[in-house]
Amino acid sequence: MAGAPERSVVQILNFSQQPVWDAPWRWQSVRREGGSGFVVNTAKGKRVMTNAHVVSWGRQVQVRRYQDPRPFQAEVDFIGHDCDLAVLRVRDESFFEGVDALEFGELPEVRSTVVTYGYPAGGEQISYTRGVVSRIELQTFVHVGNRSLLAVQTDAAINPGNSGGPVVQDDKVVGVAFQGVPGLENAGFFISPEVIRHFMKDISNGTYNGFPMAGIRLVPLQNPAYRKFLGLPEGSGQGARVDGIGDVPATRELLRADDVLLEAGGFPVGSDGTILYRGNRVAAGLPFQLAQHGETVPIKLLREKKEMTVELPVSVYEGDRAAGSQYDRPPRFFVRGGLVFTPLSQDYLRTIGRDLGDASTTDLVFELFYLRQEKPEAVRREPVVFVNVLAHPVNANFGARPRSLVDKINGIRIESIDDVIRAFEAGKGAQDVIEFVGKQGFECLQREEADAANAEILKTYGLTNDRRL
Amino acid sequence: MSRKLSLAFLFAAWCRLMSPAFAAEVVRNPFESSVVTVEVTSKEYDLMQPWNKPTRSIRKHALVLGSHELVTTAQGFANRTLVRVQKGGRGRWFDASVQWIDYHANVAVISAKDGEFWQGLHEVEVAPSVPRRNDYDIVRWRDGNLEIRRADFSKFTVGEGSLSFSPRIQLELNTELAGLGWAEPVVADGKVVGLTVAKSGNVCTAMPTPFLLQIVEARKSGKFAGLGFFDFVWAQSENPATFEYLKLEGEPRGGVVVEVPKQAGADYAIRRRDVLIEIDGFSIDMEGDFEDPEYGHLMLEGLATRRHFAGDIIPMKVLRDGKIIDVRYVLPRADYKVDLLPMHGFDHEPEYLVAGGLVFQPLSQSYLRIWGEEWRRRAPFRLAYFTSQSPTPERPSLVVLSQVLPDPLNVGYQEYRNIVVDKVNGRVIRKLADLKVAFAESTDGVHRIDFFKGDGLQRMLLDAGSLEESTLRVLKRFGIPKAEMIGE
Repeated sequence: MAGAPERSVVQILNFSQQPVWDAPWRWQSVRREGGSGFVVNTAKGKRVMTNAHVVSWGRQVQVRRYQDPRPFQAEVDFIGHDCDLAVLRVRDESFFEGVDALEFGELPEVRSTVVTYGYPAGGEQISYTRGVVSRIELQTFVHVGNRSLLAVQTDAAINPGNSGGPVVQDDKVVGVAFQGVPGLENAGFFISPEVIRHFMKDISNGTYNGFPMAGIRLVPLQNPAYRKFLGLPEGSGQGARVDGIGDVPATRELLRADDVLLEAGGFPVGSDGTILYRGNRVAAGLPFQLAQHGETVPIKLLREKKEMTVELPVSVYEGDRAAGSQYDRPPRFFVRGGLVFTPLSQDYLRTIGRDLGDASTTDLVFELFYLRQEKPEAVRREPVVFVNVLAHPVNANFGARPRSLVDKINGIRIESIDDVIRAFEAGKGAQDVIEFVGKQGFECLQREEADAANAEILKTYGLTNDRRL
Repeated sequence: MSRKLSLAFLFAAWCRLMSPAFAAEVVRNPFESSVVTVEVTSKEYDLMQPWNKPTRSIRKHALVLGSHELVTTAQGFANRTLVRVQKGGRGRWFDASVQWIDYHANVAVISAKDGEFWQGLHEVEVAPSVPRRNDYDIVRWRDGNLEIRRADFSKFTVGEGSLSFSPRIQLELNTELAGLGWAEPVVADGKVVGLTVAKSGNVCTAMPTPFLLQIVEARKSGKFAGLGFFDFVWAQSENPATFEYLKLEGEPRGGVVVEVPKQAGADYAIRRRDVLIEIDGFSIDMEGDFEDPEYGHLMLEGLATRRHFAGDIIPMKVLRDGKIIDVRYVLPRADYKVDLLPMHGFDHEPEYLVAGGLVFQPLSQSYLRIWGEEWRRRAPFRLAYFTSQSPTPERPSLVVLSQVLPDPLNVGYQEYRNIVVDKVNGRVIRKLADLKVAFAESTDGVHRIDFFKGDGLQRMLLDAGSLEESTLRVLKRFGIPKAEMIGE
């Protein structure tokens, strides 16, 4: 690599607009958010790498080169919300003229020094902060909230605006700055080269799949009686226990509770559920994440006191997408007679704010976060919430409480927004009957009156369509 | 000159105060001899460490009502160790005992054996109905004096009791007086019209005396069968479309039943989607209210305790399948056990079982109150969510692994807590006593503990051969007097 790394670091401006999750046809005010990025080589040529959260919900994304006042328009080429990485294409190819792509290095060692490059808040010029690698482990990626991938903790200041900037060691990128922890001083986090390489390899075929999950709930196996019972030799520190298996068919077929995971991806698994990876003890889920969607991971098990080897297929898990933050795809909805229906999601629950946890919302929380594990057979594909009423004489007496989970409409069990539409269309009586989950009861709408009022309601409240599917 | 005048005035005033004629003019408030102070010392168990028995003392008020009997609220008497009474707001305390108590009704009758206590006391005048006033007086003993302070009338309402889910009539007052809720009498026209039961912000809630007298008189005549409640769930509907769908003719009215008990048999009087048109002779409007002749509009739940007790048959008219029919609803008894997580458990030591450092306790609302008054928000969500679920014959109650006291036997499990037990050694755990039986049924030299399916730990194994030894070690190390406290 020629030249100083800062010449390859770019400033990113994102004019973003997020939907209003409890009034899903509306959008929030446009926000101007700043971030950082850097030039990388891809199969399609030079691109800008940054964090997914820097460019999410972007209406217009601009990039600026080092000490160049001109803004260039950019577009998202690939985005991985699960790993908080994105690659941008710049419309004007001249943007990359004279700019070298940065190369990726290896996972830095703990106690080694790294330098973060970026455009943090507080000024317009590039900023450099030096820090020490303090810890390497799987961290929750707050962008989606329900995925943990390999990340590096450093005491280098990582502030808003640093996001997406490269973390450099020996002139090579060893990470992408991405998050801090409120209340934790001198602790910033950057995405590990392992995750970055996985992302780059994933997009090399033109599509992004994401990070696979094995669906294994692995727990430490350190109780002497349990270890002996499962056939582990005394004094051994190897082997963690499969306590449960998630909603992943291949894993359900091949593994069972009380299997002891001895090795994953060639790494010996410790009794605390970790592996030794490049000198760091990290959660044994890592080898499954290092594989690409559709690949297999060799694992060694102890089952009924006998060792066995299994090639475990791993794939991206979509079942809990709504339980994490969602981006770039505006919420689906349907409006009928002024009643607003939208899918249950973590983003929607956030709109409830302080009332979340009240008796009226506990059914929603249970459905979204707990039902899948407790009663998988009862899970709805896309649970639907009745979120609001657009007031009109046709619904003036509709007494059901907004924020209620819809059970059935006209006798049809609601598994998704599409079912809501189908169920209303299937109604035959004079009234549409909407039933809710739990103790919320049911309510009715006069069908013909609702039909007649729909257009007027949409016009009054500024909806261009009664649905987004 | 002025100094001499002042001294003369003071002397004259002193002479007047000392004169027998002035003493004869003192008019004593009748409540001074009919309202007494009660001091209750009780064990206030710490469910974080259920073997601990810290104590607390509270002071409250009681009315002289009946022959050598004092009537008050039941609050504060649970797990009592000592009850004392004092008259006149000062002086000697007399030992007393609880003669009768019902926590759901929130009424207690106490008495003192010492005849000296009763000297000079008179029965209080209690109003058989609550007169409508813009304000009432609240009477209480404070620093040896009878304090009488005004409180503004707010409304009559139907609400759960302070100690029960059974709904009852309540009088709400607005007052800035602090520390109320301990049976301070609410009075009007020289008669007691209620006893305070709670204070939240500026709102003071009182139990009206007609409700109190109904309990006291039923107890005297031996007819008190416990308070009842409606065990179905209804919802108000003002929606003509819903009433049309239910084929109700005429004006929208009535409450719509949305849930009946899961265990309801064929003879259960109410069905889901019935419209409650009339209860006990009172018409129900579309807000679910009835017109009480004494208190005005009240929520229909109040009819469960309006001159009725558990076991009574309450006639109802319900709309079912387009027809209004008469049904006879048998009023169930309010019992904490109707909930999967009982609201309270009084007058017995909290149950627990320590096995190899694992501490098991019944999961109850009392347990969840470890997380404070805001426990519905602050307790682990999954535990609190059980309050919205109903008991079943297969699972009438739940047992939780509340904590693990570290010991070599339970290495690897020390961090686990607040997970609900499903089975031990294959035996389904329906109550704490089941655990004891199950721990005697180990196989393969281990105890197998399975937890409820969910996002928490699913299974633990413990060495069966060392369990007893470990339990003894834990008891000694953590200062626990005994390994178990298991009720009937």
